[in-house]
Amino acid sequence: MNEEEKIQQELLKNFAFLENKIKIQRVRRIFIEVPLEKFFAVFDYAVKNLGVSMLSALSGLDEGENFSFIYHLALANGIMLNFKTGVAKNAPLLKTVTGYFPSAEIYERELADLLGVEVIGLKKGKRYPLPDNWPEGQYPLRKGWKKEALNKQEDKKNA
Amino acid sequence: MHDNMEIPVGPQHPALKEPASFRLSLSGEKIMQASVRLGYNHRGIEKACEERTYIQDLYLIERICGICSHAHSTAFAQAVEEIAGVNLPKRAAYIRTLVGELERIHSHLLWLGVAGHEIGFDTLLMYTWADREIVMDILANVTGNRVNYGINSLGGVRRDISPEQVRQIAKAMDALEERTKYYIELASVETTLINRLSGVGVMSKKDVLRLGTVGPTARASGVARDVRKDDPYAAYAEINFNVVTDNHNDIYGRTIVRLGELMESFNIIRQVIKNLPDGPIAVKVARKIPSGEAVSRYEAPRGEDLHYVKANGTESPERVKVRAPTLANIQSVAFMLEDRYLADMPIVVAAIDPCFSCTDRSIAIKDAEGKGKKKKIVDWESLRLHGIEWYSKQGIDFTALNKRFKR
Amino acid sequence: MLKALFNILIFPGFLFLIIFGLAAEFYDRKIYARFQNRVGPPWFQPFADFVKLVAKENIIPEQADAYVFKLVPVFALTSVVTAFFYIPLWKTGALYSFNGDMIVVLYLLTIPTVALFLAGWYSCSVYSTLGAMRSLTQLFAYEIPLLTSILASALLANTWSLSKITVFYSLHPGLWAFNLLGFIISVVTLMGKLEKGPFDIPEAETEIVAGSLTEYSGKLLALFRLTIDIEMIVGASLLAAVFLPFGLTLHPAIGFILFLLKVLLIVSIISLFRTVLARLRIDQMVNFCWKYIAPLAFLQVLINLIVKWTLVR
Repeated sequence: MNEEEKIQQELLKNFAFLENKIKIQRVRRIFIEVPLEKFFAVFDYAVKNLGVSMLSALSGLDEGENFSFIYHLALANGIMLNFKTGVAKNAPLLKTVTGYFPSAEIYERELADLLGVEVIGLKKGKRYPLPDNWPEGQYPLRKGWKKEALNKQEDKKNA
Repeated sequence: MHDNMEIPVGPQHPALKEPASFRLSLSGEKIMQASVRLGYNHRGIEKACEERTYIQDLYLIERICGICSHAHSTAFAQAVEEIAGVNLPKRAAYIRTLVGELERIHSHLLWLGVAGHEIGFDTLLMYTWADREIVMDILANVTGNRVNYGINSLGGVRRDISPEQVRQIAKAMDALEERTKYYIELASVETTLINRLSGVGVMSKKDVLRLGTVGPTARASGVARDVRKDDPYAAYAEINFNVVTDNHNDIYGRTIVRLGELMESFNIIRQVIKNLPDGPIAVKVARKIPSGEAVSRYEAPRGEDLHYVKANGTESPERVKVRAPTLANIQSVAFMLEDRYLADMPIVVAAIDPCFSCTDRSIAIKDAEGKGKKKKIVDWESLRLHGIEWYSKQGIDFTALNKRFKR
Repeated sequence: MLKALFNILIFPGFLFLIIFGLAAEFYDRKIYARFQNRVGPPWFQPFADFVKLVAKENIIPEQADAYVFKLVPVFALTSVVTAFFYIPLWKTGALYSFNGDMIVVLYLLTIPTVALFLAGWYSCSVYSTLGAMRSLTQLFAYEIPLLTSILASALLANTWSLSKITVFYSLHPGLWAFNLLGFIISVVTLMGKLEKGPFDIPEAETEIVAGSLTEYSGKLLALFRLTIDIEMIVGASLLAAVFLPFGLTLHPAIGFILFLLKVLLIVSIISLFRTVLARLRIDQMVNFCWKYIAPLAFLQVLINLIVKWTLVR
């Protein structure tokens, strides 16, 4: 049994509902899908027991009805665990992971700016990466967003 | 003297080669608090990628950054190739490795010069940048370009290298190795250099692990974090090299690490050109990429570069996510600045080898109204008119000159 | 009267100082560039820069005190030029001298630094204020060793007049060799005074843009830059008179060439240090001056006292 399978077995032993949700895509790449209500239990376990060395990145995706978030966790032995979870688009709330990884702050601000996700527990600070005078309610990474939406607002302001 | 004077460094400042904004709260010469604001270079590349085809994206992504362009384009190509199920030809993997290491050499030499400039040691800047020309010439020779090499294509590389080029590379490596040895000696004896770099920007191993820094910034604190070793890509699995670490935990350590990595890069390039396999340099990849997702990691000169690509079966990706190394490192800068001297600020920022262009990827809204009615921000055109008016009052009229040089 | 006017305005006064100052700036920039493997500027570059700046618009910040802002560069320039008349150049004895002119020259040479402080302080910008504070901090670090090392030389000559110092060393050739330590100290401190080399802390570009001069532009900046160039000449002439007082009794033409060579030698040393050293931090600079340079200056005084009691009677 190789390292990737060991991790798969360990996660399955503790979280039976992950059956068929863990995919070993290739050597050193594991994708794990977890529903949001159970996500932080699994995340917490993984961070504390699987030898995670850092949170490499946090990707946010617009998938129509839902937003998906992928937490890319790098293990010291080179394996990358990709924890995927989702939230309904009409109530985009997400708990912060800055308690585990202080460096997640900037990734979470990016989600807030570009996708319009409200990150609960994120301390107040400067926004990133959009300018301070960026209009409310404009989230460029959402699928339906077009840059013409901005011009319309500008026109309204000038009129 | 003022208590807690606030000094803005950026978005435009001589110490910064790219826009970023640092607000430093000073007590005398000591920095009490530092805050960082980024985003001035956000160009919306991730969004733009979704609207273009994979092959267009490859060249767009290469333009995320002018220094580590090969890092981004390789990381993206790797992710797409993984989704498409393409087996990269061995020769292509070796050529990617070669260009990647040449890029590392030019980037580290560039860093050394910038570091010299930031601490007021311009001679080092002039020396290293002159030597950097050697590797720039090689890059131009091998890829056809000094920056944004455009060597990658989906499924391989666009150009092969000839035996003549291999000989030139070997010669350049010898010349650069000799110069690097000189810099290593310089770093160990030059007192003012050591005084300015030692004990500055200190980050313990614990802090590195807590803040998740990458690249030479992490390795200088004894954390052997290197994607080339941990998660080998291209030809690194077949190459014998060391991960250079150091235990100084400060900027001096980061200098030592980068110098050591230069030596390792020469070693890697020698192995690459010696063992260069024969065969094709590219395989064909269909324009439509099947649905799927992939995470690709690349050890850029500044640290781990991560790309996430999601495909939906069409010619354009569903989502491209880029996490450049500077984004992982920038958060440690505010930490390193606190309770330090103002004079150390430029070098502390420079020591992570920041690349804000990489980090931010905008659409700018022009606000020419300013605050209040009285202080108006002068726009470019009225500034130009003021100039013409002022000079004509002095009796200097450029209209005749302008006519003469009008094409 | 006419002769005095000629002396003040043309030679060896104002015009000569401008030309020599700009030429020395060219020399400094050229060898600095050659040390760094660069080509360097053409000979007329400092002149061209000066003319260009004079043609430019003066911009005075709204918050700044316009009166002080305009006055200080003139103030600084006149004081360095005045200082020059009391320094013996290519013969023993200066254009003007009186007992105690040494103190006056050192005092006049402090004025450009004070002017830089005022310029920075009244510019009311954060970078200028920081630069101004640094100028003043640095002044307290280098002024004492500079004064002490020059005093040591005067002590041996038993006079407070620069002209009489040169007369004394011409009568006792070879005695200047005892002042070698003092010479090295004063060159180092002169670099601090000129804000050059590793001591360019008050104008550290990468930290505080241009320090005190950040808000300056046009003619006022041209005046300040000219002042700094002339200050370099005057400072180097002072060191040449006090520490290299040989060849002063020869034919004036030879003496003049020797004078130029002495000044260029000092400028070369400054350029060399600028090339090979990184900028220090202000705390490191103050530490260095008080820990090493000041004690060495006092050692020089001690040496000269012993020499005076044993050799000179």
